[in-house]
Amino acid sequence: MIYRNLRFALNSAWQSFWRNLAVSMAAVVSITLILILAGVNLLVGHAFSQVLDGFRAKVSEISINVADGTPLQAVYDYQQQLAADPRVTSVKFITKDEALAQFKADPNNVVLAQQIDGNPLDAKLQVRVAKLDDVAAIDTLARRWSGVDPTDPTNYQGDFVNRMLGLSQWLGLAGVGLLGILVVVSIVIVMNTIRTAVYHRRKEIEVMKLVGATEWFVRGPFVIEGVMTGVIAAAFALALLVIAYEPAVDRFRSDIAFIPLSYDPGFVASLARDLLLGGALLGALGSYIGVRRYVRL
Amino acid sequence: MVLTPDFDTRPVISFQHVWKTYPTGTEALRDVNLVVPEGDFLFLVGPSGAGKSTLVRLLIREEKPSKGKIFVDGVELGRMKRRQLPNYRRKVGLVFQDFKLLPNLTVYENVAFALRVHGEAEHTIHARAAEALDTVGLAGKDQTYPANLSGGEQQRVAIARALVHAPRFIIADEPTGNLDPATAWEIMQLFLRINARGATVVMATHNREIVDLLRRRVVAIDAGQVARDDRSGRYHDDLSKPQIRAQ
Repeated sequence: MIYRNLRFALNSAWQSFWRNLAVSMAAVVSITLILILAGVNLLVGHAFSQVLDGFRAKVSEISINVADGTPLQAVYDYQQQLAADPRVTSVKFITKDEALAQFKADPNNVVLAQQIDGNPLDAKLQVRVAKLDDVAAIDTLARRWSGVDPTDPTNYQGDFVNRMLGLSQWLGLAGVGLLGILVVVSIVIVMNTIRTAVYHRRKEIEVMKLVGATEWFVRGPFVIEGVMTGVIAAAFALALLVIAYEPAVDRFRSDIAFIPLSYDPGFVASLARDLLLGGALLGALGSYIGVRRYVRL
Repeated sequence: MVLTPDFDTRPVISFQHVWKTYPTGTEALRDVNLVVPEGDFLFLVGPSGAGKSTLVRLLIREEKPSKGKIFVDGVELGRMKRRQLPNYRRKVGLVFQDFKLLPNLTVYENVAFALRVHGEAEHTIHARAAEALDTVGLAGKDQTYPANLSGGEQQRVAIARALVHAPRFIIADEPTGNLDPATAWEIMQLFLRINARGATVVMATHNREIVDLLRRRVVAIDAGQVARDDRSGRYHDDLSKPQIRAQ
């Protein structure tokens, strides 16, 4: 009996979708637009999180400048002490010569490197910290070390790190907020579309109820129709986003070069899953709410 | 064959001090008491707005009484849970003035629909729908759409749909209201046949000729109250006949 009812619901949903094609397509287009916005939101969120991850990697590494004349053994001891700290991932010692070589190797420093006489650079300990929140504590620890260069102890920029952390939190919240608004809007759209379909079929619903159909028997086809609408819209939105994703990132990179956005083909699978699942759920929920008043026995 | 209602048999429908007041404040029914024994054929008559349709809506549990109790087959409708309603409605055959056929479905599909919502198997649906269509004399029109049928034929389809799950009660709300006298009479013959097979029939009607010709039980509703209950009644009050007043 469940199989027969399910078959009836599927047939009925399919027929209703095609019979009311204009209304169905209006819903598909509306939801497609909403899902495109949701998809862009997800893609932008993902791109910024990649950028932020890059920044995080950079700022979670601090350089401790070693004062000239510090005995090498003292530097090694301190390196070991830092390496033993659970908050620290790795510590690398860079000698004055290596620091100069690195400086000269950077194409941005070509002119400056030609003017350098001798080696004014400090040797340094490059410390990678596991958690961004612990960088400040490691910086405080380093500044207390006797071998640190008192004029320029570390390259830690607390304000910048804090701002980045704040920005990433705000971006995350804004993304969630926008997604929430899009979800509500799309539910309202599906709800109203299905309500239109239900209104067209109110006579059929009335007859169904009078001959003894259960609420779920009446509701089932509409919920399935909602899921169909949502999934078709999600497929359209996904296709458009996949086509536009790489060119959009290229365009952005060439226009705003200082934000290192990147194209991540691996994210498409996760985007497809989110959009299709989201479309199906939105369709089901919108239909369920839209049809509720009419199916109540 | 004319059946006389047997008031000694078990009542299948019983209204006990039933009041219905709509949210607008309109008092549609006032202290209605009515007993319908099994196998009865009952006409509900009265002017428009008297409360006949409210009584029918209460019987099919589209509305609940504001006060009082309605028992059908021993079950109190007012206390029936929503999930029990589909089962109850499967015991009742409903026929309306506007037929309530689905225009996108053929005659066969309209009749089969009543069984399909019950989740019946396809072969059962086919056999019973064919039998119901045969009973109402529409066996050859099963693939026709309602729009291509006359009013009388559409009402026959509606009756076939009401009969298809072999209900114990038929509730009809103005079933001949949209039909010419000859067709209305044909439809009434169908209802009489259904009643003769044992189904209880409650019919709200304005059709004076039919009521007067058939001389069945007549319950007159006026201003929301049972004004008259005659075992073998006429459309209008006939003081020469003994009356059964409401309890």
